[in-house]
Amino acid sequence: MNRPLDNAAPTIFAASSTGRRNDALWADAYSEDAAAQPELAYLHNKRVGSDEEGSEDEEAGEEIDAYEVFDLLRSVTDPEHPVSLEQLRVVSAEDIHVAGNRVLVYLTPTIPHCSMSTLIGLSLRVRLLRALPPRYRVDIRIKAGTHQSEHAVNKQLNDKERVQAALENNHLLQVVEGCLATAGRRGAPGPEDHSGHGH
Amino acid sequence: MDVERVVKTQVTSSELNPSPELIKSVNNGETTLIAVVQALGPFLTAPEEKTRVNGLTYLSNTVTSIDKSKINRPAARTLTNFFLAKLDDFDSLSPSLSALLVLSKLSATTFDDDTAVEVYRQIVENVNMKAYAQSVRHQVYQLFDSFLDKHREAFKDMGPEFISSYSKMVDGEKDPRNLLLLFQLDKVILIDFDVESQIEDMFDVTFCYFPISFRPPPNDPYGITAEDLKVALRAAMSASSHFAKMALPLFLEKYATSSGPAMKDLLLTMAACFPAYGAPAVAERGEELWDCLKTEILYTSDSSVEAAALAALESLIRTLYPTTNDGPSGLAQLIIKQCLENMNEPEKNHSMGSSKCLAALVRASPSTGPFALSQALPQLFRQFNVPKLPSHRENIISYVTILLMAARSVYAVPGATRRQEQERSLEPYRENLLDVMREGLRTRDLKVSAVRGSVALAEIPGFWTKREVEEVVQGMDDLLINEKDPDVRPAVMHGLKTIAGVHADVVEGVTLPVLFHTLPETAPEESDVDGRDAYRRILSALTDLCTMPALFETLVVRITTRLDLLSSATPIEEDAATGASRRECTVAYAWDLLNTLQTVISIKLEAKHVDLPKYYSQVAPRLFGMVVSAALPRVDKVVPLFRDRRLITIAAAIGETLFFELSAAKQAPVVQSMVSAFEEGNLSAIVYDQTSVPPTAGSPLRGNATSAEQDLVALYSAIIRGLKADTPIEVPSISDFLATKVHWAVRVARDDFQLRLMLDLITALVNKRVSEFGGHLEPLLERIWMTDIQDTTQPFELRRRGLLVYLHITKALALLRNDLAYSSIQRIVEILSLSNLDPAFVQEAACDFGVLAESGGKGKGKGRGAHLTTKLLHAQKLWNFLLPKLIEGDKDTEGKGRDVYLVAFASLLPLVPSSLFLSDLPTILPLLLRSLSLSNAAQRANVITALTSIVETANTSTATDKLLHEHAVTMVEGVLRSARRLPGVETNGRVRCTALAALGVFPDAIRYETLHPVKATVIRELADSLDDPLRSVRREAVDTRDRWYRYGA
Repeated sequence: MNRPLDNAAPTIFAASSTGRRNDALWADAYSEDAAAQPELAYLHNKRVGSDEEGSEDEEAGEEIDAYEVFDLLRSVTDPEHPVSLEQLRVVSAEDIHVAGNRVLVYLTPTIPHCSMSTLIGLSLRVRLLRALPPRYRVDIRIKAGTHQSEHAVNKQLNDKERVQAALENNHLLQVVEGCLATAGRRGAPGPEDHSGHGH
Repeated sequence: MDVERVVKTQVTSSELNPSPELIKSVNNGETTLIAVVQALGPFLTAPEEKTRVNGLTYLSNTVTSIDKSKINRPAARTLTNFFLAKLDDFDSLSPSLSALLVLSKLSATTFDDDTAVEVYRQIVENVNMKAYAQSVRHQVYQLFDSFLDKHREAFKDMGPEFISSYSKMVDGEKDPRNLLLLFQLDKVILIDFDVESQIEDMFDVTFCYFPISFRPPPNDPYGITAEDLKVALRAAMSASSHFAKMALPLFLEKYATSSGPAMKDLLLTMAACFPAYGAPAVAERGEELWDCLKTEILYTSDSSVEAAALAALESLIRTLYPTTNDGPSGLAQLIIKQCLENMNEPEKNHSMGSSKCLAALVRASPSTGPFALSQALPQLFRQFNVPKLPSHRENIISYVTILLMAARSVYAVPGATRRQEQERSLEPYRENLLDVMREGLRTRDLKVSAVRGSVALAEIPGFWTKREVEEVVQGMDDLLINEKDPDVRPAVMHGLKTIAGVHADVVEGVTLPVLFHTLPETAPEESDVDGRDAYRRILSALTDLCTMPALFETLVVRITTRLDLLSSATPIEEDAATGASRRECTVAYAWDLLNTLQTVISIKLEAKHVDLPKYYSQVAPRLFGMVVSAALPRVDKVVPLFRDRRLITIAAAIGETLFFELSAAKQAPVVQSMVSAFEEGNLSAIVYDQTSVPPTAGSPLRGNATSAEQDLVALYSAIIRGLKADTPIEVPSISDFLATKVHWAVRVARDDFQLRLMLDLITALVNKRVSEFGGHLEPLLERIWMTDIQDTTQPFELRRRGLLVYLHITKALALLRNDLAYSSIQRIVEILSLSNLDPAFVQEAACDFGVLAESGGKGKGKGRGAHLTTKLLHAQKLWNFLLPKLIEGDKDTEGKGRDVYLVAFASLLPLVPSSLFLSDLPTILPLLLRSLSLSNAAQRANVITALTSIVETANTSTATDKLLHEHAVTMVEGVLRSARRLPGVETNGRVRCTALAALGVFPDAIRYETLHPVKATVIRELADSLDDPLRSVRREAVDTRDRWYRYGA
């Protein structure tokens, strides 16, 4: 490690185990149960239900919502510590807003002078660039009042050309890829011994 | 036996493993060992070196292969001397050592102490270890190992000579395989030998390896990990107290330079060594050690390093203050003082670590434990009651909890040696503790800590009375029902489960009534998402709690009562629009209740609880009663709740599961009443409340039954499916019985729901009762074939059903590898060639091969085929029978007619694991690739699943690897089409998910240079899938796209 850490001992929270609320009329267990049944191509009514719940119905509305975006971001690793942004409460489901084709993510640095904020923001942007449909416009902002140079960071994060320039820097891209390597865990714990001093 | 000839022939042809005949002959006494040696004489003394080594190797191999009792004392003596003489001969050393190892393991009379010591001395004198390869050095160490095992006393008697020669022999060893063995030898020597005067020699050959920085080579066939070596070395380092003087300074020195895994290793090693080195030595460096450990505990961000440092601290304290007689003065006081100072500033980061240090002191010994608690708790209570800032209380209560959990880990584990009744360390704080917990359970941000602390206290045997436990359980129940913070609920659930293990009566008497009371009487409205979320949370809590036998009965009673109430509540009119929504909500609620019951039952089944069988009679007749009385014809327009097929299905499934758990003797009367209900209309026989069903009801199978009555076949089917092999069914003629069921399936069932239930019944009946049918099955199949299937004048639907019945019977037989199955299937394969004459029906037949592929007997307790009887390798046999026929048919047919073979092939795929067709891959892969463009989504999903597992095994053989790389681009393009929603292509969530998951496998299995031309396309096209309407598909798309981004990057 060639640089003292900005925040040497951040508070680490437990990753929340609960996911999306289970409040649809039919419990998740019902659709899981139906999915576990082998699909019987030779029987024409695919579901046991008495109503006309066919495949068209199934294709309707599971819109991308704040929770889904959070799920994409929660397990991105902090550039300084081998823990996820969710565990540091840098991102949380409440601070993500989805409306129409717009996604707005507020991030909360662990300390007001965190020099990593831009890098974290950049990682989130790259993750969403890859994981959200291109129709979305993504804004990533520092949560108001949580960082000394809020405006500068916001400007940097939402300026297309600056983001592009940053990603052409090979070293920076490697660091971002490092942070994103764990993104696919989506809140699941990683393998136990992460070599904490590898960064 | 002509020993001389055998030996001569073998050795001259360089066949150095003695023939089995020779070994046998020596073993049964026909040939003596001396005779073999004599026969080898010319070789052993040959002037040519290669011949000599061959002779020696042959002799050595003979010694290792023969029955060891054939080696008597003189023979052992002679052989030992002979092999000893060869030690300085470079090429002879290895075979000589093999033979000596065998000899060294003979009994002490045959190979005595003196011989062992002599062999050892000769080796030390003649073998230059550094000149030899790893395997030879390993042989030497094995021999040492054998000596220390069999002749340890003799080696101890050698005095200083042994250790000084041993340490020279093993000096410089680097191979991990050898080191693993050496560390074990070191440990034996350190423990058992008088090492004090030579401790430096031993220190040099052990501590020089510390810390281990070994990284196993990729594909290491020996599978030795760094962890194996660390553990073995640690055992040696902690084997002697004499190391203390040199080791402790070394630890302190290493501490300054270690980090990451090396630091963790150092800390764990210290933890292992302190007790061995003893209090006096450790006390000398106590404060320095504490300073090191403290830094790691308070400031590391790596939780595994922190845990290791805490383990070292605990070990340090335990070493210094092992018993109550060792007063907690000196270092312990210093540590407690420093920690309490830190904890007085809860806003600082290191205060949390300080509380963990105190917890380590609590765990460490009966001396420091009560003392640390007596110093810490009063201060923490003061801080909690009058915090400098209100926000500090969250941390303060968590320190209390950390200490309580440490106390729990000491007093409440099985086989605990320390008891709270004796130490009484918490006794003075009884009231204060309850106050803090009570307050914590109802204060924001304190709840999780309060729950954990309360549970820890409840677990400590003999500390809390029932009243105190009840009080915190009430607080926890309240959180369970009302708490919105997502972190609290899991903690409460975990806590209640733990408390239920110790105080089941409290959870049963306090928690369950509250939970059931909170379950709504009627289903929440469709718009009432909060209500639904609330009751689901309660049901999931009940699922977690009620698997315990003590609580399960309550669950059964309460759920069935609740369902009774729901089904008898104000009936809902069918027609009204609001009625439809109300009804759907109620059905969903009832389904959730039933699912709770089913989930708990399957958890209990998996945990092999023995109380399940007795619940059949409590559960099934009640559920069946609701279903039966709902199905009976009514004069009004009301549609009773339990006419809903989703509820019938799950109720029947619960019945089947519990029924299968009954013994044959208990099953028999149930089966009989089912038969009586369905054959004679005696429906009241199968329900709990017999007055609810009028005796005039009539059989659901009778000609003029309503559709709702016919749905009752679900119950019949469930019971036949759950039948044990030896449960009798008493019917006048089993083949007539089957014939009427076939008739009903083909000609009476109103729709596929009913058809499927009857097909399951038929399958189960044939499968479980095949022997009782005698020769009657074949004519029955023949009749179905002739009258229902083949007769093209019959309506299509009737022919289709006939074919399904035919296939289900065939499948039931194929599971048993019954010959009739294969001749029956042959006919269906033949149909496939008739696609010009009867295209629609042939297409149907090809799809119906899927019947054969459905799992039978797999996935215990789940799914349709769960309780069928199967014989080993039935799937393989069927596959091997069918595959060549389908391939041949495909080859022999031209044009569009070929497709049906592909459809049949794709439908059949799930029958076998794909490993089975790896050997036929060159034939099968083209079929799979063509099948990727079939129109049916389910069949394509089968194909993609098969391809996925094939691609995953790409590197198992070079032939497979080459083939797969050749076709990789085609596969990716074909699978990609199924991942997307394209106009005019049949698709569904499952095939898209399967396809996306399959695409995600390629980057790991196929080399980048093969697929880099399609990388950009894949990433671009997957962007569409990111916008899929189904969440599960989007999720796969994100992960797969991510893999492709990294692919080759």
